[in-house]
Parts: sequence; structure tokens; C-alpha cells
Amino acid sequence: MSRKHKFDKTAFVFIAPAFILFTLFIIVPTVSSVYYSFTSWDGISPTVKFIGFANYKEIFTSDRFGNALKNTVILTVFISIFENSIALALALIVDNVKWGKNFFRSAFYIPVLISGIVSGFIWKIMYNYNFGTFNAVLSNLGLDGWKQDWLGNSSLTLLMIGMVLIWKGAGYYMIIYLASLQSVSPELIEAAEIDGASPWQRFKSITVPLISGAFTINFTLSLINGLKVFDQINVMTDGGPGFTSETLVYLLYKVGFNEGRQGFGTAVGIMLLFIIIVLNTIQQKFLRSREVQM
Amino acid sequence: MEKTRKKTKPGTIVLFAVTVILAFLFIYPVLFALMSAFKSNGDILKSPISFPRSLYIQNFKDLFEQSDFFTAILHSLFLTVVSEVLIVFIVPMAAYGIERRQSRATALTYTYFLAGMMIPFHLYMFPLFREMKLLHIFGNMAGPIISYIAGSIAFGTLLYCSFLKGIPLEIEEAAMIDGCTPFQTFWRVTFPLLGPCTGSMVILNGLGIWNDYLMPYLVLPSGKAKTITVEIAGFVGQYTARWDIVFAGTVISIVPALIIFCMFQKYFVKGITAGAAKG
Repeated sequence: MSRKHKFDKTAFVFIAPAFILFTLFIIVPTVSSVYYSFTSWDGISPTVKFIGFANYKEIFTSDRFGNALKNTVILTVFISIFENSIALALALIVDNVKWGKNFFRSAFYIPVLISGIVSGFIWKIMYNYNFGTFNAVLSNLGLDGWKQDWLGNSSLTLLMIGMVLIWKGAGYYMIIYLASLQSVSPELIEAAEIDGASPWQRFKSITVPLISGAFTINFTLSLINGLKVFDQINVMTDGGPGFTSETLVYLLYKVGFNEGRQGFGTAVGIMLLFIIIVLNTIQQKFLRSREVQM
Repeated sequence: MEKTRKKTKPGTIVLFAVTVILAFLFIYPVLFALMSAFKSNGDILKSPISFPRSLYIQNFKDLFEQSDFFTAILHSLFLTVVSEVLIVFIVPMAAYGIERRQSRATALTYTYFLAGMMIPFHLYMFPLFREMKLLHIFGNMAGPIISYIAGSIAFGTLLYCSFLKGIPLEIEEAAMIDGCTPFQTFWRVTFPLLGPCTGSMVILNGLGIWNDYLMPYLVLPSGKAKTITVEIAGFVGQYTARWDIVFAGTVISIVPALIIFCMFQKYFVKGITAGAAKG
């Protein structure tokens, strides 16, 4: 008993360094950002002026925030839907392909290793009007009419950025789907096969329900990661043309650093956190309701 | 199993062919960058989809001559290695304290740490930089390193706690009876058993630091080379006409990550799945 008591004290010592760092460098700035969101702080001057709800009022009335929110929703939903369907398809392929399983799994994962900046640069060049891969391939196929200024065409920009993120992210979610596919017991599938279920029926009635947990997790993760996209936008379009690829995170960065309005930027950040908390809560609800079923 | 040596079904071959095409599409942008790094600027512009004609390394020479890329490499290495060493010292101990001393306080600490996973860096970066300036860790390596450690605690604790559950208590109890202090017990007995978990955390986390852009860009002193990623982002704006140089930098950024991935693949998979199982 006495040994256990001694351990209690040391447990505190074990946790303390992490606790202090986490509190000082994550929680303190997060909590103070709530305060800064009510100020007109410029990020440089030592004095910080309290301005009440003015930043939030601007958020709900200004077109720029509305535009950034719209762009964020389009980009995030686009990424999440395609990232998840492609990741699931890749997982099914890797799970079923006969030769080179490990090689293919690695191949699909490689884009995940590349930094946001580098991936943005590579694709920016591939999208280039005069010297890019996309237009070169279209020319070779005799489809010159389809050639585009892929990033400069404001109705395409967001989707083009989204494609980079889908390419870069799908491998990550594939690993999670693959793990849950491999946890489906082969006996179950065999039993269904013997009972005469078609491959589609087996997929729909056995695999899908069993991987639904992975689906919920992946969908939430990809939504949250989609909300946080920054590097690619920075290197590919800088939020342009005009404001067509300015997302919430990018708006936050631009008003904070280029326009010296860090108080307003922080208020935008608070909105972002709010959205993330809502998404997480929904995910938890979904996961829990599934657990009850099973 | 007896069937395998018989004739392969056409479906199997079609699936294989589709997989090969998809894998090519996924790897292509990386190949494109690797190939372009060994082409002259003229060749990159003229024939973007062709192979390099010879092993042309002028781009790398220019890269190191025209910029302080060497310093950037050292900075990236320093940030990644020092942060990871400190993370490996701090995070597993915290997880051990939480997991092996089940109480209300530790359960709360666990929830407190996990809540940190939701907070986006962009939200708190402005106040964080102000805090760093107050503590005189803005404008030097200490700032990013400390933030990286703080940022790794949530995911790291999650990972270590889930691995610790699978390690039997008996071994530790035996060590304690033999007179080890809790500190010794952890580092000499438990920690070595957590090798795969440490591998997963170091690799996933280290990749994040190696590839990070915003923190070093904003925190490290301007006017000098910062990190590989920051330099590349700078080139994109600066050398709009010299893609060859940027591609050379790109390769230097990608290759170490590729090598680490090839060597420690299983740790990537373990870390991602363990994180998702609880996330």
C-alpha cells in the first residue's frame, strides 16, 4: 500500500513536464485568443484595445468572411467526399489485388510523405498553361480545345486545389480503411459466399457495416483536415484569383499578417474552432449510436 | 489455396492492370519532380513529360551556389532531431503516469490532452507568437522546438496510452520489488517494450516537423535561410523563371522522407491505425 502511495507522487512528476508545456503553449494561447478576438490588436503594438463584439459583428456582416466560409465549405466537402471514396476504393483494390500488395500500398501512400508546400509547387507546375503536364497531355491527345489555365480560371481554382489535397491525402485514409477491412473475418465472407450472396451483396451487407466505424472517423478527419488547408493555397494561388480560393484559414492569415488585424484574425480562428467542435461532437454521436447497434 | 496455380481468372488480371495504372497516376507527380530536377530549365519547359536526357546535376550546383540551402537543410535537421529527442523524453513518461495511475485526476488530464487535438494551430498562433516574444524564444530555434513538443503531446499520449494497455504490469512490479525506483522501472523496463510505439510516434511526428512551413516561416529570423520547406516556398515566388532550381530543392525535401518511409513502413501503418482507433 505504501509503495502505491509513493508511486502516486511520482506519477505527478511524470506528467508534469508535458502538462506544463501543453498548458503554456497550447491552452494559454488558445484561451487568450478568445480575449484577443474582442480586441483590435494589430500584432505589433504592446497596447491592446478592447472593442467588444465588433470583430464578430464584422464576421457576420462582411462579404469577405461569407466568401471565405463558402470557399471553405466547397473545398472541404469536395475533398472529404472524393478523398474517402478514393481511399476506400484503393483499400479494396490493395486488399484484393493478387500481386504486389505491399508495393501498391506504398505507392498510394507516397504522396502523404510530401510537404504541403512541395506538393503545391509540383502541381502548380503541372497545371501551368504553357509548360504544364496537363495541357501537354491534352495536346498530345489532340484535345487542344480543353486546354485551360487551370489555376487562373476562377470557377476551377478551388477544385484544382482540392485535387492536390485528395491526391496527397487519400493514401492516409486508405491505411485506416485497409486496417478495418482486414479485421473483417474471412469466415463471415465465406459463409455468405456459401449461402449464395453475390460479391456486391457481400460487400453491401458484410463489409460496409463492419467498416462504418472507419468511415465515420475518416470522414471527420478529412473534414477537419480540409478546414485547415493552408500550404497549398499559399504556394499555388495566394487566395486568388481575386478572393476565389481564400478560405477561413487563409483569410485569418492574410488579415493577421498582411493587414495587421490579428484581433479580427483571431475571431475568425474562434469560428473555425467552433466548426471543428461541432463536427467532432457529431462524429462522437455517430460512433456511439453504432456501438449500441452492434 | 490449391486453386492458385490453376489458370488466373480474367478479373484478377483486369484488377491488376487497373491497380498498376492507378499506382502510376499516384506516383507520377513525384516522378515528375524527380525527373525535372535532373533536366535543364529549357528541357523542363519544352518537354515536361519526357525523361531527362542525361544525369544533369547543374540544378543542384546552382541551388547551393545561389542560395543558402545548406543552412536550410541543417535547420530542418536540427529542428526535427532535437524536437523528437525531447518529445521521446517527455511524452511517454506522461502517458505512463496517466495509464498506470488510474484516478480521477489522471483521467481528467487525459481528456484535457485529447481536447488539444481539436485546436487548430492557426487559431492560437497570434497569441502564441506574442507569448514567445515575451519569453524570448521568438526568432530562434527554441520557439518552434517548444511548440512542436507541446503540439505532439495530444497525439503522443493517445498512442502511448493505447500501447501501454497491452504491457503486463507484472514485469514492472517485479522490477519495483527488486528495488527500482519508478523512474528506473519506466526507462529500463517499460520503455524498451514500447519500441514500436516510439517508432510510430517519432516517424509520424518527425515527418510533420520536417514538412512544416508556417511555424519556421513566421518564427525564425528573416533575412537568413530558415528551413527546406520555407526556402522552397520562397523560391516559388522569387525564381519564377528558374523551376530547375526549385525542383532540385524539392528532391532534397522528398528523398529523406522516402528513405525513412521505405525503412520503417510498418511504423507508419501502426501509428496511423492506432491513432484512428481512438481518435
